[in-house]
Amino acid sequence: MAEARQVPEVAAPAVAQGNAAYAWPTHPTYMGTDVQRIDGPDKVTGRAKYSYDIQRPNMLYGRIVRSPHPRARVVAIDLTMARQAPGVKAALAVVEPNAILMFQGEEVAAVAAATEEQARDAARLVKVQYEVLPPLTSVEQAMSPDAPKVFPDGNVREGAAEETGDLAAGFKAAAHVVEQTYNTQVQTHVSLETHGCVCEWDGDKLTAWVSTQAVHGTREGFAQALKIPQANVRVITQYMGGGFGSKFAPDAQGIICANLAKQAGAPVHLMLDRKEEHLATGNRPSAYAKIRAGVSADGMLTAFDAQTWGTGGAGVGAGFPLPYIYQFPNRRRQHKDVYINAGGARAMRAPGHPQGCFITEVLMDELADLVKLDPVDFRMKNLPPDAPDARWRAYFPIAAKLFGWDKRHPTGDATPGPIKHGFGCSANRWGGGGRGSHAHCEILPDGGVIMRCGTQDIGTGTRTLVSIVTAETLGLPIDAVNTEIGDSLYPFSGGSGGSTTAASVTPAIRVTAVKALDALKAKVAPKLGVPPADLVASDGRLHARNDRAKGMTWKEACRTLGAEPIAVDGEWQPGLSASGTSGVQMAEVEVDTETGVSKVTRLVCVQDCGLIVDKLTAESQVIGGVLFGVNYALFEDRILDRNTGQMVNPNMEWYLIGGPSDVPEITAHLVDQPERGVIGLGEPPAVATAAAIANAIANATGVRLRSLPMTPDKVLAALEQQRAGGTR
Amino acid sequence: MAPKDETRSELDERSGVSRRFFLKTVGAGGVAASVIDGLQEALPHAQEAGTAAAPAAIGPGPVPITLNVNGQRLSLKVEPRTTLLDALRNHAGQTGNKRVCDRGSCGACTMIIDGRTRYACSTLAIEAQGHDIRSIEGLAKGTVLHPVQQAFAEADGMMCGFCTPGFVMSAVALLEKNPHPTVEEAKRALDGNICRCGTYVRVLEAALKTKGVARG
Ligand code: FES
Ligand code: FES
Repeated sequence: MAEARQVPEVAAPAVAQGNAAYAWPTHPTYMGTDVQRIDGPDKVTGRAKYSYDIQRPNMLYGRIVRSPHPRARVVAIDLTMARQAPGVKAALAVVEPNAILMFQGEEVAAVAAATEEQARDAARLVKVQYEVLPPLTSVEQAMSPDAPKVFPDGNVREGAAEETGDLAAGFKAAAHVVEQTYNTQVQTHVSLETHGCVCEWDGDKLTAWVSTQAVHGTREGFAQALKIPQANVRVITQYMGGGFGSKFAPDAQGIICANLAKQAGAPVHLMLDRKEEHLATGNRPSAYAKIRAGVSADGMLTAFDAQTWGTGGAGVGAGFPLPYIYQFPNRRRQHKDVYINAGGARAMRAPGHPQGCFITEVLMDELADLVKLDPVDFRMKNLPPDAPDARWRAYFPIAAKLFGWDKRHPTGDATPGPIKHGFGCSANRWGGGGRGSHAHCEILPDGGVIMRCGTQDIGTGTRTLVSIVTAETLGLPIDAVNTEIGDSLYPFSGGSGGSTTAASVTPAIRVTAVKALDALKAKVAPKLGVPPADLVASDGRLHARNDRAKGMTWKEACRTLGAEPIAVDGEWQPGLSASGTSGVQMAEVEVDTETGVSKVTRLVCVQDCGLIVDKLTAESQVIGGVLFGVNYALFEDRILDRNTGQMVNPNMEWYLIGGPSDVPEITAHLVDQPERGVIGLGEPPAVATAAAIANAIANATGVRLRSLPMTPDKVLAALEQQRAGGTR
Repeated sequence: MAPKDETRSELDERSGVSRRFFLKTVGAGGVAASVIDGLQEALPHAQEAGTAAAPAAIGPGPVPITLNVNGQRLSLKVEPRTTLLDALRNHAGQTGNKRVCDRGSCGACTMIIDGRTRYACSTLAIEAQGHDIRSIEGLAKGTVLHPVQQAFAEADGMMCGFCTPGFVMSAVALLEKNPHPTVEEAKRALDGNICRCGTYVRVLEAALKTKGVARG
């Protein structure tokens, strides 16, 4: 069984010496300003073609038959009726008889037909005989001693204990001890464009338009699974409707689509529906932590002892960092991955971090209350030392000022009436950083500029960043650059995961554009009588550094090329990017203690990301990340029926995502760090939000929720318990 | 036709909580009932058809239909069960409006029919005949963006962009009725649309900043 594709945080050196010729400009024209998305007009008009929108001549529609059972043995698959159904051009079994299916939604068979309606009808005619087996439907059940042994190596995989310091001494030094259990839910990605692709064969060559975060990785995946050379595969992703970590490979549906297309001898369109998307394309694992933690009378953390577990579904791990950020000198942790019969986890926007952050930050507020310290003061005492990638000591005060933290009341809003207000805070970290991208630049005799890179824009604005850096380097307007990305025919660039795209791609573009410009300077220099090193490109001109008049327009310069364009390749180099980000968030909530409904009214996010390339799209990333966190905090939950193991809410009306009315006032305060180079920003802002909201709800109500999502029923239950005189 | 802004926003208004909460706290029956009410209200002729003599059977195979889309007559052959969204996307190459949930809960397919927003995924193509249908493809004039589209582009009211056509259509319908909405009115009008990337802040900003939308 596959491990979750966890995109590692890149461990690039925080500061690396680079070649000065490529250094970022010190007085940029575009970089760090608000630049509109270059593909904005295509997106707002519907002209942007996503994989879902690709239509090819004679294209068929594919449909997958999936297991309705969380655990079953396939007895027989009969495709006869499906093959005879109107419009059907291909049908295939995905698994052999006797195969054991391990989750609801696992692929069993597939068909392709002339219309989508015909494909759906035909899929219903595939006769699959199952022997239904008892499933593991919950973590509790899977861990109980009398659970059926479902997974070959056991339902539970226990990791080695991690231990630092002297735990007994740590607890001895503690004046107060908290002992509690915390947990977070399973969250699905809910990319609005579902997973899927259009596959078309030309002889033994495959072209696939895939909704993917990695055109090159997906090319490799197709080649491996189909046993064809990578050179025979072309993957195209011009536009994609969100992935959040779940789209790095062809996946089962991609290979099925390619096989259907081969069998039918026609292109096949196979995009999953919403239910399939929830069941089979990944999720963020749940997390549980039973913790004992100690704090000294003067507010120093002394000890941390945790047993943790969680499920990533059928055979996938559920790791997360713990404790998060704060320094417990003496600590122990023992983690277990628990397997159940549900769709497997995949990387999801900052894998592991929102879980570790929520658990640690809620615990931190509990400890702060015990020593009667303000949560910010308490955190400041226990943070690691300040470093370029660990700037919380600077950011907590900035956030506090922006937010008005000094108006925080102690835990429990004493205002009469059912509506209670509260403040909460938390911190986050992430890696980011980059490496490995390549690019190709052409300067054409008519003045045209093409910049090609085999990266992809997953909604973060990568296409725009490529144009910005190219235009900045060549001294041209942004719309003078033809940016071409999203195609595996273009130079290699890695998958868009781990917040590594900006820090991988922009240095490659910078290096390549500088090389192209140098080539042009070499051609033009003799004509101007200026040494190439004294030439600069700005405002659409190439001219002597100290004499603007001594130069020519960009077009004139390019005309000197004659018939032969400049064509250069370049790649990522150190010195233009770094890794490691930090941030702090503060939330204000309003809780109705009669209905249990919590509303987030305000959020302040202080976040760094190194050198900012496009301030406009960077802020959008931060806002979007924060809203991702609001959804995780209050709404989202993959609910499995505990008896049948069926997902109860595989749709968008019961699997909840906030709408426009749920949006708080958001302050996105980006800290620019030009000296560090580009780092990446997609994930960090999504990490700390849920924890800040949880702490704000506790501050408002005086009751602490230790379980996500913080739905009204949980708020009411906690208030009820408090009234009944239970523990806080 | 699937009602959109009418039922949803009335519900929101009444309860004073967001649609998401509403759905979470009220049983499915309540929502379904409202949807049916809206359908009958929206389609008086359908009601008549139901009470008059039984209509001639059509389908299940493809039947010819004529749609009036963005002022153009469009003749297609689709199965009677085909939704308006699928008819335009799969049979007419008009893929601007997106299919996301395919059951009336996300708004990506939002079109404007007879001046009101509708979920095209929950509207049958044959029932949309004789109605004035506007989709995302109909807004821009060549390369000149509609003022709402222009405002979205300027405010960065999009990230991956998959929800964007639906939001643009909802914003257009709002502004044609109410050129100067309050924040609350704009939120309510857009509450039938979901964005996973989290563009709401700037979508609202765009809707509130748009100038020069003629009353529809
Ligand atoms: S696709 Fe129509 S509402 Fe979601
Ligand atoms: S922009 Fe991606 S879903 Fe809205």
